[in-house]
Amino acid sequence: MYRSVLKRLLLINTKTSNANRRFLPQITTFSTKTSSFSHQNHPSPQSILPQTLTSNNNNQRKYKSDYQEDQVRVLQASLRHVVKLGWSEAAMISGARKVGVSPSVVGSFPRKEAALVEFFMDDCLQRLIDRIDSGEELKDLIYSERVAKLVQIRLEMQVPFISKWSQALSIQAQPMNVPMSFKQRAMLVDEIWHACGDNASNIDWYLKRTVLGGLYSTTEIYMLTDNSPGFHDTWEFVRNRVKDAFDLGKTVQEATYLAEAVGAGLGSSLAGFVKGVSRG
Amino acid sequence: IFEYKVSRVDFSGFKEVHEEEKSKMVGNVFSNVASNYDLMNDLMSVGLHRLWKHRLVSKLHPFPGMKHLDVAGGTGDVAFKILENVNSISRRALQHGLEDDLQGETEIYVCDINPNMLSVGKKRAIERGLGENCSLKWVEGDAEALTFEDCSMDGYTIAFGIRNVTHIEKALAEAYRQVFYELSSYYSRSSLTILSIQVLKKGGRFLCLELSHVDIPVFKDLYDYYSFSVIPAVGELVAGDRESYQYLVESIRRFPSQDKFAAMISEAGFQKVEYENLVGGVVAIHSGLKF
Repeated sequence: MYRSVLKRLLLINTKTSNANRRFLPQITTFSTKTSSFSHQNHPSPQSILPQTLTSNNNNQRKYKSDYQEDQVRVLQASLRHVVKLGWSEAAMISGARKVGVSPSVVGSFPRKEAALVEFFMDDCLQRLIDRIDSGEELKDLIYSERVAKLVQIRLEMQVPFISKWSQALSIQAQPMNVPMSFKQRAMLVDEIWHACGDNASNIDWYLKRTVLGGLYSTTEIYMLTDNSPGFHDTWEFVRNRVKDAFDLGKTVQEATYLAEAVGAGLGSSLAGFVKGVSRG
Repeated sequence: IFEYKVSRVDFSGFKEVHEEEKSKMVGNVFSNVASNYDLMNDLMSVGLHRLWKHRLVSKLHPFPGMKHLDVAGGTGDVAFKILENVNSISRRALQHGLEDDLQGETEIYVCDINPNMLSVGKKRAIERGLGENCSLKWVEGDAEALTFEDCSMDGYTIAFGIRNVTHIEKALAEAYRQVFYELSSYYSRSSLTILSIQVLKKGGRFLCLELSHVDIPVFKDLYDYYSFSVIPAVGELVAGDRESYQYLVESIRRFPSQDKFAAMISEAGFQKVEYENLVGGVVAIHSGLKF
């Protein structure tokens, strides 16, 4: 959640279409100015923000952002070992060794493997945002095709790790990791809808994100067992599901109209009958 | 307020004691208590000290091939736990055989100023079957002037020891100091904050388990009563030494609070400094990262 979150903070400030964003990541306490901040899942942990303004305050500020950069470097190096060693501490220890940092640093990550998975998810989200911003691929596509294309782009980033992705999913599903993974997926889904130009402001906002969330998850799981070349079965699956979802939306709308029409018709004929009876 | 820095007179316990006398007094306390140390620990903490040390070791998260320094760890509790953690079956089962060669490279140094404590520790090692284990190394030394070279340690722990160090900042500075594999000659004593951080490698962790301050209203009074009335009495009964345990209890009260101590650790140059209270503050584990 480190560098990508910071970048997103900066991104948010410069993007003009920000007005439509309703789901801002909660990073109120992350800043390179204040010092270390960390999460722990154990009773009554406390972080220390030394407010003591000594003369080496400036140096300390530099150190404080340094350690997070170093942590990011360790995680990035660890990703290269994931294919062989899985999303595990062994991969993180190898990554730390590669970067020249003592493997003790692995002990300082709050939830070890989950930190690695979450870093990867953030990284992918950031890359997706970059792809969206560079924008050419989405210009000529209609609404529903755009959604499918974005899901495809995002899932393609996972292809190098597909052999160990089921392990990543199980890590994300652990109770202590669920809040974080849920938040990351929510951000992802929000990002995709935003890129498709979503302007909903009522119950539709939640509906759309829920539907897309479900769609994304089922595609992800489908991909785990897909053996077709280039995963083209999966992309076919996505396109069909997106079409179904949109069709379903239209169907629901038409059904509503039909119900209204029938109700109106019934109402008027009932009124006519009652008038007839009262006259006669 | 760092009374240690400001004046050469140090309020040890609630008796005014001069610096040199304090080192001697601490030495005496532990020569006296060494033989009964483990028993008294069990009695005083009602057996909880094992859980606390276990929590310390799991926070440390040791790995095979680790070079670790346990300071003031005389009887070797923490060191044994670390070694057992690294060599545990469950860990080996998860390794895919990749790190077996590193297993042999694990080195755990137990450093203590008091040779009596070290000999008790060595005896306990033999009892546990770790006597021949060459990963465990027993070193006599002062936490304030470690004889290890810079940048050689992956981890540094001090469990219930930092309270007794005359200059806490110096011990912290030494922990940060960079150390290599060979033992070298004494460094001259310079400012604590620089030396203590240098023993650790980049990415190394500093962990300190210590009795600390309780703030919860009713529990605090109970704890005070227990500390001042029960512990010296038990000390007298079991170890025949009321004085030492009186000193012990008083020194706990003199120790800086959790936040202040965390600030001291941060001053020494450590990053990501945090602490975790156990049993409502009776014990606190402070941790820091060196980068």
